[in-house]
Amino acid sequence: MPDPSFVFAQSLSGLTAAMFLFLIASGLSLIFGVLRVLNFAHGTFYMLGAYLAYQLIVWLGPGPGMFWLAALGAAVTVALLGGLIERVLFRRLYGKEELYQLLFTYALALILSDVAKLLWGTQQKSVSRPPGLTGSFAFFGATIPAYNLFIVLLGPAIALAFWFVLQRTRAGRFIRAAALDRETLGALGVNVDALYTWVFMLASFLGGLGGALISPMRATVPGMDTEVIVEAFVVVVIGGLGSFWGTLLGAVIYGQVLSFGILFFPRFSIFAVFALMAAVLIVRPWGLLGRPLR
Amino acid sequence: MIARVPWGLLVFVAALFVPAVGSRYHTFVAGDVVIWALFATSLNLLVGYTGLVSFGHAAYFGVGAYATGILMKKLGAPFLLAWPAAGALAGACALVFGFFCVRLTRIYFAMLTLAFAQIVWAICFKWNEVTGGEQGMPEIPYPDFGWVERWGARVPLLGGWRTSEYYYFVTLVLVAASLFALHRIVGSPFGRILTSIRENAERAEFIGVNVRRYELAAFVLAGAFAGLAGGLFGIFNRGVFPDFAYWTKSSEVLIMTLLGGMGSFYGPSIGALVLILLNQQIVSYTEYWPLVLGTVLVVLLFGFPGGIAGAVGALAGRLFRRLRSA
Amino acid sequence: MLHVLTVFLTALLALPLVAEAQKPIKVGMPMPLSGPPALFGDPATKGAQMFVDELNAKGGVLGRKVELLLRDSKADANEAVRVARELILKENVDFLVGTLTSAEGPAVSVVAKENKIVFIAPIPKTDQLTAPDKLHPYVFRVASTTTIEGRSAAEIVAKWPVTNVATMSFDYAYGQDVTKAFVDHLKKVKPSVHIVDQQWPKLGEQDYNPFINAQMAKKPEAVFSSIWGGFFVTYSKQAKALGVFDAIKYNFIGVGEAATPETTKSMGADYPVGIWGNSYDAFYWGETPAHRDYTARLSKYLKDEYPSSWAIQGYIGMQFLTEAIKKAGSTDSDKVAKALLGLTVETPIGPLTIREKDHQANRGQLYGKTVKDPKFPFAIMKPVVYVDPSRFMD
Repeated sequence: MPDPSFVFAQSLSGLTAAMFLFLIASGLSLIFGVLRVLNFAHGTFYMLGAYLAYQLIVWLGPGPGMFWLAALGAAVTVALLGGLIERVLFRRLYGKEELYQLLFTYALALILSDVAKLLWGTQQKSVSRPPGLTGSFAFFGATIPAYNLFIVLLGPAIALAFWFVLQRTRAGRFIRAAALDRETLGALGVNVDALYTWVFMLASFLGGLGGALISPMRATVPGMDTEVIVEAFVVVVIGGLGSFWGTLLGAVIYGQVLSFGILFFPRFSIFAVFALMAAVLIVRPWGLLGRPLR
Repeated sequence: MIARVPWGLLVFVAALFVPAVGSRYHTFVAGDVVIWALFATSLNLLVGYTGLVSFGHAAYFGVGAYATGILMKKLGAPFLLAWPAAGALAGACALVFGFFCVRLTRIYFAMLTLAFAQIVWAICFKWNEVTGGEQGMPEIPYPDFGWVERWGARVPLLGGWRTSEYYYFVTLVLVAASLFALHRIVGSPFGRILTSIRENAERAEFIGVNVRRYELAAFVLAGAFAGLAGGLFGIFNRGVFPDFAYWTKSSEVLIMTLLGGMGSFYGPSIGALVLILLNQQIVSYTEYWPLVLGTVLVVLLFGFPGGIAGAVGALAGRLFRRLRSA
Repeated sequence: MLHVLTVFLTALLALPLVAEAQKPIKVGMPMPLSGPPALFGDPATKGAQMFVDELNAKGGVLGRKVELLLRDSKADANEAVRVARELILKENVDFLVGTLTSAEGPAVSVVAKENKIVFIAPIPKTDQLTAPDKLHPYVFRVASTTTIEGRSAAEIVAKWPVTNVATMSFDYAYGQDVTKAFVDHLKKVKPSVHIVDQQWPKLGEQDYNPFINAQMAKKPEAVFSSIWGGFFVTYSKQAKALGVFDAIKYNFIGVGEAATPETTKSMGADYPVGIWGNSYDAFYWGETPAHRDYTARLSKYLKDEYPSSWAIQGYIGMQFLTEAIKKAGSTDSDKVAKALLGLTVETPIGPLTIREKDHQANRGQLYGKTVKDPKFPFAIMKPVVYVDPSRFMD
């Protein structure tokens, strides 16, 4: 049995990875839950969030709070872009065949990632941790980076805020209703078109925020979108497409499997993740916490 | 009238002349197109004929490529054994994976095919001892063409080509035979049942068709032919690499199929031709190939959902009607 | 009939050959130009381009200009093979100089062998590239090797007051080979050493946290890493946050050029100053007049006060090719390949020779402990020493 401080550190690093994935995957899951479209371009929103955060930091310069301003600015910009895309293009897809939806969002991912390449080139971009969170502290013999801890705490906070919006507000009730029955909601006089745009913007915001917040920990590079989107797919499939808590659970499972997987089967932890995804789809296609579709 | 022209045969004969008329580069591109045409057509058996959207078809392409590669490079097996083995092994994988996949519908089906493909990719990527892992397996030997050379001394036209050109001829003949087989399959009663499943699975079930079993059969056939394409491609590409099974390859072949047109048997082949030629042209001018591809795809999806074959067919039909009425 | 046609067409195509003497010599260069590997790949192409520009200004070689054709190999073996074949078949390049990763190098070597085209590898280090079973008449390497690098690092670590050593390397040819060379040699020169842990993240890993935690749980006193290029930036940022460098008292050696000015520059204050590292070049080395002159020219060419340390590899690769063409008096690959055997070239870092027996140049590297120097806004190696590879090559 490895010593407890190691287990603690390892689970925390898995949890950190999980919270990023949760931010990204929850947007993906929301879009699928309400709009019934599996959005391949969502990973690209995440990448754009990271690039925009880098750009804003360059423009804003160093200084207390600038990182947070940049992260927020990046997420909002991605949300606005998402809204625009939904209005102009996405809208034509609703109700079409899955194949067309998938390929359209894939095309969108291709286009947007090349636009990012046009704007930021191909060299990797690196962002420093925000001042105040650069250090680390010892905890039961384990070294915990302050930024990681912040992310681990931020994830549940966003989840709760999200849950509150969905469960306790008028807009949230509409969103939930739209996920179940679009026509009836429209007949009741709700502007479903506008609602869809808002949902898409919220989802894009989460994706962009995930990218912006991860930029101090990882390198921002072309191609990070194709990698993350598959990870996000795994998470939402395990948790249940369209299920909010399922996404959180899926992300946590994913993070822990990767973290502890390298101890038991160092080579094949990537394999384990996809095997888990396949197993869930075989046994419970709608995911651990999801509901079967009509 | 147009349909009665033996287009397939004509194209095959024309393709035979590529090494004689064109440069080494032309032969290279033609070989690429021919193999991808088989890969895309195998996918169309699922997507176009049976209505199953697979997002992990590259898995079987990859399995086939690795099977042929390992057999020929590590075990010294002859091509005549290694190539059919690619189809058999890919078909066997498709049987196991497909067994689970056909139980699901729509988006879940697509996701499970993706998951299985990523499993195959992860194995190719990490099993260093067998697959070479990350760096793949370069230097897959060409089939032995010594016998052709010996015959070539006596039979005119047969001798005097480069190894890569011999391989092109072999590829061309094998792909033509595979496409012919696929053509027979989709034209058979079995193929018609697949189409009826695509049109309406419930009705097919109602008239006594075991939908799952037919879908599984289609899945296995599609996988086997993708494996055969992969087996050819590994040698053509002078190496087998884990990206062959990565999900972006699956989307590439799906785009080809859609671009050419899922509604027609030769659509995917046209898609392979157009996409590869376009790629070869574009990449000499710009590194922004994905941008071009994405734009083409958006135009296609919104403007020509039937793909090139669909658009050309509609155009030809209109012309034909005008000619008749004139 | 067919053959008549072929002969006719070939004759037609051969007509422009009359104008051959004026046509430039085409050199294809597949190199990663995107993503983290571009941190090294991009400057290497710049060095090659500078050499070509200078050469052409002086009239080229054999009265012909040299033209460099760059292609992004994306640090991916499959992509490298694809662009190499495209360069040969479509662009009709005469030579190949390029590739960066140890996956790309051996894969492109096969293409060069089949097409009988001289291929000079300026960066890939894996021993497999020129191993007896892989060696062929057309492949040459002006980069260092995993054996040289691993053994050089082992000599340094052997002097540290540590017994428990851990390794962190990517799970592919370069990482595996250099780590094996390091471990084998370290055990030989210091038998008391104990390898307590070895981690193998995948090439291009983004999240090193689990690997670092698992490694630190084994309480190593020193860490050998071969995480390279832009990947080292990500790795060391995460390792620093997890307190790795403090825990092992900076007994850390990063081969794979962890101490290049590019890396220290791009990380600025985030760089773990105090670790050991290596580099192919450093503008502040300035040992010889030839090197100082080269650095000044490069600085002007790149419009960079602190010019890249990777440019040298592209530069040397092109230098060897041109010298061999000159010696052969021809651009015929067979003749150039023969001319390269045993060829000695005066490079900016001193004379280098390509050995006949394994087509390998005696390329060593600079090693040193990184320190903060008030003269520069980033860490440098000080003192920086060129480790002669000759005693590590066999």
